[in-house]
Amino acid sequence: MSEFLQFLVAGLKNGSIYALIALGFTIVYTATGAINFAQGEFFMLGGMICVSFTELGLPLPVAAVAAIAATAAIGAAFELLAVRPIAGDNPLRIIMVTIGGAVVLRQLALHIFGPDERALAPFTEGASLKALGVAVELQTLWIWGLTALAVVLLAFVYRKTTFGRAMRATAIRRDAARLVGVNAGMMVTVAFALAAGLGALAGVAVAPLTQTAFGVGAIIGVKGFAAAILGGIGNPITAVAGGLMLGLLESFAAGYFDPVYKDGVALVVLLLVLFVAPQGLLVRAGRVKV
Amino acid sequence: MNAKTLRALAPLVAVAVALLVPLVVSDRFILKVFTFAGINALVVVGLALLFGYAGQVSLGHAAFMGLGAYTSAFCTVELEWPWLLGFVAAGAVAAFGGLILAIPALRLKGYYLAMATLGFGLLMSLAFTEARPITGGVDGFTGIPFPSLGPLEIRSAASLYWLVWGAVGIAVLVAHNITSLRPGRAMRALHGSELGAQACGVDIVGVKVRTFVVSALMAGLAGALYAGVVGFVSPSVFTLTASITFIAMTIVGGTSSLAGPILAAVALTLVQYVDALIPGLPRETAQTIQSYQEDIYGLAIVLVVIFAPRGLAGLWKRRNAGGETP
Amino acid sequence: MLAVVLVAFLAMIVAGCGGSESDTTSEGSSEDPIKIGAILSLTGTYAGLGEPEKNLIELEVKKINDAGGINGRPVEVIIEDDATDEAQAVAAASRLIEQEGVVAIIGATGTGQTMAMRGDVQRAGIPQVSMAGGTVITNPVDPLVFATPWSNTIVVPFTLEYMQQQGITKIGLITDSGGFGKDGQAVFAAEAPKAGVEIVADETLNPGDTDMTAQLTKIKNSEAQAIVMWTAGSEAAIIAKNATDLGIDLPIYGSHGIARQEFIDGAGEAAEGVKLAAGKVLDPSLYGEGSEAATVADDFITSYEQAYGEKPGMFPGYAYDALYLVVEAAKRVEGDLTPEALRDQIEATTGWIGIDGTYNMTAADHNGLTVDDLQMYEISGGQFTPAQ
Repeated sequence: MSEFLQFLVAGLKNGSIYALIALGFTIVYTATGAINFAQGEFFMLGGMICVSFTELGLPLPVAAVAAIAATAAIGAAFELLAVRPIAGDNPLRIIMVTIGGAVVLRQLALHIFGPDERALAPFTEGASLKALGVAVELQTLWIWGLTALAVVLLAFVYRKTTFGRAMRATAIRRDAARLVGVNAGMMVTVAFALAAGLGALAGVAVAPLTQTAFGVGAIIGVKGFAAAILGGIGNPITAVAGGLMLGLLESFAAGYFDPVYKDGVALVVLLLVLFVAPQGLLVRAGRVKV
Repeated sequence: MNAKTLRALAPLVAVAVALLVPLVVSDRFILKVFTFAGINALVVVGLALLFGYAGQVSLGHAAFMGLGAYTSAFCTVELEWPWLLGFVAAGAVAAFGGLILAIPALRLKGYYLAMATLGFGLLMSLAFTEARPITGGVDGFTGIPFPSLGPLEIRSAASLYWLVWGAVGIAVLVAHNITSLRPGRAMRALHGSELGAQACGVDIVGVKVRTFVVSALMAGLAGALYAGVVGFVSPSVFTLTASITFIAMTIVGGTSSLAGPILAAVALTLVQYVDALIPGLPRETAQTIQSYQEDIYGLAIVLVVIFAPRGLAGLWKRRNAGGETP
Repeated sequence: MLAVVLVAFLAMIVAGCGGSESDTTSEGSSEDPIKIGAILSLTGTYAGLGEPEKNLIELEVKKINDAGGINGRPVEVIIEDDATDEAQAVAAASRLIEQEGVVAIIGATGTGQTMAMRGDVQRAGIPQVSMAGGTVITNPVDPLVFATPWSNTIVVPFTLEYMQQQGITKIGLITDSGGFGKDGQAVFAAEAPKAGVEIVADETLNPGDTDMTAQLTKIKNSEAQAIVMWTAGSEAAIIAKNATDLGIDLPIYGSHGIARQEFIDGAGEAAEGVKLAAGKVLDPSLYGEGSEAATVADDFITSYEQAYGEKPGMFPGYAYDALYLVVEAAKRVEGDLTPEALRDQIEATTGWIGIDGTYNMTAADHNGLTVDDLQMYEISGGQFTPAQ
C-alpha cells in the first residue's frame, strides 16, 4: 500500500510540472492556433536563470520571481522576433521557426551557463514529511501549491478580467476582436509571455529535486504537449487534468514495471492520442480542429 | 537546353563533380569528411523530397537512419549475412518503419503531424537504447565490418567515398523520376493546394505515403552506409539533434530543387570538421567554431524561414528570374 | 545558372583540399614531437571526471617537456572531447589516428567510450591506455588496451568484503546502463554469492536520468540492508539526494567513480555517511609516512593544488598514471618509436609507483594493480575519511 501511495505522490508531483507546461501550450494554442515547439526551453531557462541569480547572491525567493519574469520577457521577445515576422498561418513555417528558435535558446543557455548540471536549494529546508509510510519532500508541497495557485490565477484572469476576456476574444475571432478595439498583436505577445512564465515556474519549482541543465527542454516540451493533448488542448482545465493523468501513468508504469521505460510512456501516450483521439480524452470529438 | 532542364540537371552535375574529388584529394581524413557529407546528403535528398514535393514535415528522420544502421549492423555482425543483403534489409526495415508511421500520421496535419514525427523519433531513440540484446544499448554496436560487394571489400577511403556518392546520385535520379511523373507535375503546379491537386485526379494520400516511405528508405540506406564507414553505431548518433540538423540542411538549401539541399548538407557537414580542412587553423578557433555548430543550425533555420522561405536556392532563383512571389 | 555556380563552388572546395599528403604515421625524425592522443569527457555527465584529467595532463606535459621531453624529443598530447558519448569518442579516435598520426591514445574517461574506440585502435595497431574502471576493458585482455583505474574485479570484492564485515548480507543494487555501471552489475552478480551477500533488488537507470525515486522506492520495499550504487556520473548525487528525500535509512555504498568533490557538492547533506572504496591518494599517509609511494602522492597533490587551486581527486590520478605509463615506456624504447615497440614496453612495466598504486603489467594482466592499493572511505563532514 505504501508503495502505491509513494508512486501516487511521485505521479502527482511530476504531473503538476507537466500540467504547467501543458498550460503553456494551451495558452499559445488558444491565442494563435499554433503549437510553440520552444515551450520546453522556457522550462529550462526558468531553472537555469534562477540558479544563476542565486549564485549572484540574490535570495532564493527574489531569484525565483526574477527568473520567471525574465523568462516571460524572453518569451515575449521570442514571439516578436521569431514568430511575428512569419506573416500568415502557414503551420510549416511556424513549426520550423519555433524549432530553430528552440535550438537557439538552448545553445544560448549552453554558452552562457555552461554544460554542467546546476543544483538549486529547496525552497524550504527540512526533512521530508512522512505519513502512512510515504515520504513527501517539502519541495513537492511547493510544487503542488504553486501549480494550484497558477491555475486559479489563470482561471480568474481569463474569466473575470477585461484583459482575460480580450485574450479569449482574440482566440475565438481575431478580426472581430480587433473590431472592438483589442490589440490582437499584443494579445499574442502576452500569450507567449504567459506561457513562458508558466514554463519557467515549473522549471524553478522542480530544479531543487532534479538539478537542471541546458538540455532538459526538449523532452519536457514533448511530455507537456502529450499531457496537453491527452486531456484536450483547447481548454486549460483539461490541459491540467491531462498533465496529472500523464504524471500518474508514468509513475505507475515506472513503479510496477521498469523505471527505464518512464520516458517511453509519455511518447506512447503522445502517439496513441494523436492517432486515435487527437481532440483529447476529456473533450467530445468534433470540437477541436486537428 | 532550356532553363528547366538545366535546373533538373544541376543536382546531377553536382554529384558528378563530387565523384571526381578522390582523383584530386588523397588525404584519407578529408575524403572521410566528404564521405560523411555524402551520407548526410543522402538523408537530405529524401527529406527535401518530403518537404518540397509532398509538403510534409518529419522531425524524427534520424530514427529511420538509425533503423537502417542497426539493421545493417545486426545482419552483418550477428546474422553474418553478406553486406549487400544487409544493405537491402536496412532499406526495407526503414521503409517499413516509414510506412507504419505514415499511415496513421498522414491523416494529421501541420502541428500534430510534426509532433507525431517528433514523438516517433524520440521513441525510436529510446528503443535503440533499451533493446540491448539487439542494439548493444547505450554502449553501442561495435565491430561492424566494411561494406563489401560479394568478395570485394570496400575499405579504402576513396572507394567508400565513391560508394556513398554513387548512392546519392542514384537517389537524385529516383527523386527526379518521382517528381516528373504525372502526379508529380500536378503536385508541383498546385503546391500547397491539395484541393486543387485532388481536383486534377491526384491521389493525395497515396502520394504522401509513398513519398514518406521513399524518404525513410533513403535515410535507412544512409544509415547502413554510415555503419559500414564508421564501424560503430550508438543511439547518440540518431537523436533529435541529428534530425534537426537534417532539417536545417534541407531548409537552408531550399526545397524547390535538390541541388540546394545537397550543397547545404556538404557545407554544414564541413563546418563540423573545419579543423581538418584548414590545416593552419589554430585548435582554439576550430573548437570555438565547432562549439557554435548547433547555434548555426538553429539560427540558419530561423533566418531562412523568416527571410528566405525557399531557401538559399530560392533566393538565387528569385534574383535571376526577376521576382517570383515566394 | 545555378548549375554553373554549383560546379564552380565544388571545384573550389576540391582545389582547396587537393595536394594534401596521404597517410601520416608519426615515426618521424629525432626532432619531431612525439604525438600522443587523449580522449577525455570534457562535457556531458562525465565532465566532472574529464576536466581534472585534462588539467593534469596539461600540467604534467609541460613538466615533461621542461625536463627535456622523451629522449630529447618534445611530447605533444592532443586532447579531444568525447562529450561522454560513444559515437563522439569513435570520431575523436578516428581524427587522432588518421589526421594527427598519434602513436598512442590515452582514453577514454568512461568505460563505454573506451570500448567503443576499440575497433579504430585495433585497425590502427596503436596502444591505448584507458582511465575507466570497467572490467571488460582488460578482461578479456586485448594486446593493445591497458587501464589505470582499479577495475571492478578488484573493487567489487573489496567492497563486498567490507560490507560482510559490517554484517550486511542483503543489498539493493542500483546501476546505470552505461559501460561502467553495467559492468559493475555483472561483477556484483558474480562476486556477491562468494561473499555470502544476496542481491535482493537490482535496479537500473539510464545515464542522464534525473529522478531515481522509483528505483529507490523498490529498494526500500525490499529486504535490502544497504544500497549499493554503481555509477560514476552526476546521477550519483541525485541518487543520494533521492534516498534522503524518501527517508531511506540504509547505508549507501558507492563506486570509486564518486571519489570526487563534485559528488559531495552535488549531494550536499545526503553525501554524509556514504562509503566507497578508492585509492590511498585521498590520504597519502595510508601508504606509510616517508615511503616512496607517499612522496609521489604528496608531490602530485601539492603540484596540482598549486596550479589549479583545488585538491585533485581520483581522476587526475588516473590520468597521471596513464600519461606516465606511456611516457616511461616510450623512454625505454630502443630504436624507432613505433606503436608496436611502445606497446611492448607498456606491457613490460614492472614495479612502477603511480598514483593509484604499484603497477605490474603482464601479458595476462593489463591493469597491474591489486586490492592492496585500495582503502575504504566514508564521507564525513564533507571530506573523504578512512572508514573504520
